[in-house]
Amino acid sequence: MREPIPQSPLHAFGLASQARAVDEGCGVWANEIALLGYISLRGNSADPAFVNKVTSVTGVPLPVEPCSFATSGGIKVLWLSPDEWIIVCGGHRLSDILGGLRSGLEGIRSQIADNSGGYTQVLLKGRNALDVLQHASVYDFASLAPGRVVGTTFGKSSVYAHRMDEGFCLLVRRSFADYIWRYLARAAAPYGLGIAALEATGHAGHGVAA
Amino acid sequence: MFVLFCPHCREKREEEEFGYGGEAFRVRPVAPETADDETWGDYLFMRKNPKGWHWELWTHTTGCRKFFVVKRNTATNAIAGSWTLAEGRNVYDAEGGAG
Ligand SMILES: [Zn+2]
Repeated sequence: MREPIPQSPLHAFGLASQARAVDEGCGVWANEIALLGYISLRGNSADPAFVNKVTSVTGVPLPVEPCSFATSGGIKVLWLSPDEWIIVCGGHRLSDILGGLRSGLEGIRSQIADNSGGYTQVLLKGRNALDVLQHASVYDFASLAPGRVVGTTFGKSSVYAHRMDEGFCLLVRRSFADYIWRYLARAAAPYGLGIAALEATGHAGHGVAA
Repeated sequence: MFVLFCPHCREKREEEEFGYGGEAFRVRPVAPETADDETWGDYLFMRKNPKGWHWELWTHTTGCRKFFVVKRNTATNAIAGSWTLAEGRNVYDAEGGAG
């Protein structure tokens, strides 16, 4: 049997081959941050044993403040609800973090699920990035503070969004990725949409190293 | 359209982010198999449906996906507050379980 090959939910758009350095020619620049590891974690944030163990495995202080996130060493941890987080890491880190959590949290009430096929992320930047989000969502993204992550509407779907690289990072479910990309591209069209080369944006240091 | 405070996200958000969950603090008969038809029928189908203050469930569908309780005036859409289920239960009981 052949090994399964990971494939981005946005692979059909051929974004990687269109990517170029960001310039002033387009009002909106976007691209997919593809094929990272996503771990859904649930547990009791009031239990120091849980919080300390997760923090020691990921190296990222577990964000227990509502709507906050933390990054360290190429790993990003987003607060999704009072008892739920998502850990975003490079694919090469996935198995050791999963293994560390599973053994470290043994006997501590918690749930760990590898959701790597279930999500992707989209980077959105440029002088009109905020306009595109205002077209798509009811949330006032101008008021979104650095270090905050919000789950809100996006068209008829939803996203988790936080600021990144003077722009925004959208965490989207795989099943809605196609819809959200098309919505975003259509909303960005009047401003000019460029596909941003990710290496040139320095995104890789921002908790999402591939 | 109105704005609700989510007690889990601890932020005010647009109504569109939320889903409605109906009347709050409904009590399921302890032993459904021995409840008579009227008791079980009331539990399934009957609601207060007041004009005025109403304790109701909402869920933060696009955010934390948790349920919470809101005291809302159904005639004016005025909102007296929103609480987690446990906090809201205390306020509800302190008010004598009514609007
Ligand atoms: Zn919430």
